[in-house]
Amino acid sequence: MLWTSSLTAHEMTPAYPKIKSSYVSGVVKVEMSIFNYRSDVKYYQVDVFDIDWKKVPFSTQYKVLKVKHSERNNFNVYIRKTDLKRAVYLCTTSKVKKQVGVNTLVSSRICSRLDGARP
Amino acid sequence: MKYSILILSLCATPVLADVNISGSVEAKCIIQTDTGGVYGNPTATKLSTLPADGGVIPIVRYDVAVANYYTAKITHPSAFSSSPTLTDTVAWTGVSSVAQTTVAGMAAYDAAKVVYGSTTNFNLTIAGSTWFKTASTATYGVGKAFPGGSYTAVVQAECIAN
Repeated sequence: MLWTSSLTAHEMTPAYPKIKSSYVSGVVKVEMSIFNYRSDVKYYQVDVFDIDWKKVPFSTQYKVLKVKHSERNNFNVYIRKTDLKRAVYLCTTSKVKKQVGVNTLVSSRICSRLDGARP
Repeated sequence: MKYSILILSLCATPVLADVNISGSVEAKCIIQTDTGGVYGNPTATKLSTLPADGGVIPIVRYDVAVANYYTAKITHPSAFSSSPTLTDTVAWTGVSSVAQTTVAGMAAYDAAKVVYGSTTNFNLTIAGSTWFKTASTATYGVGKAFPGGSYTAVVQAECIAN
């Protein structure tokens, strides 16, 4: 599939990441990648939610990632095995800032699934 | 001399090697902000993105590589993210709908959409690109004029793995 390139896109992969063991006992690692084509956004917030969209504790190097325009950022998310049971969604949300001449901004959020469920 | 030229030409036989190109299509979603919205101010009490009211409707494009793997969740504003001080309540309305598609079958997303509160869910059942527009209107108090100043609201476009 070929899409025309855009200067305003937010992409995160994989949709169904593999849960890997980490170097810390009782903690698992999820490897993610975010690609920022949004020229109006530099920062993306990382969150982990359960099935009811309640926050699940996790750790990562930066909970708000700085991703320059047209750059890819690979990041790891660490979740305790005890919390992994209820972790369902791993999301990145764009942090929009006020712009001159535009008064309806678009905040984008992409969520991958951690619970192994697939269509 | 003839023999040496023949030997050299044999030695100059090009070396061929196969270079493989491999790739895969994985489930992924890309959200693109196609058009930034603008509020028109048709009356003193109303801000609206409808073109008839002098506004511009924000448009978001979703690209999905594999069918049925994602749900688009679009939430129209229910508050201003920045505005002058408002002393009365603001009533919000909004509608999200399909604006443009790359595959004819995507037009059915509108009929199948699920609306709850200010959020609309579209199940992305076909691979390709879909443009969604989100119109919103804010009406201030009862017969009160919006104070002068700059107003900003946020449309939240989400792509959730199923």
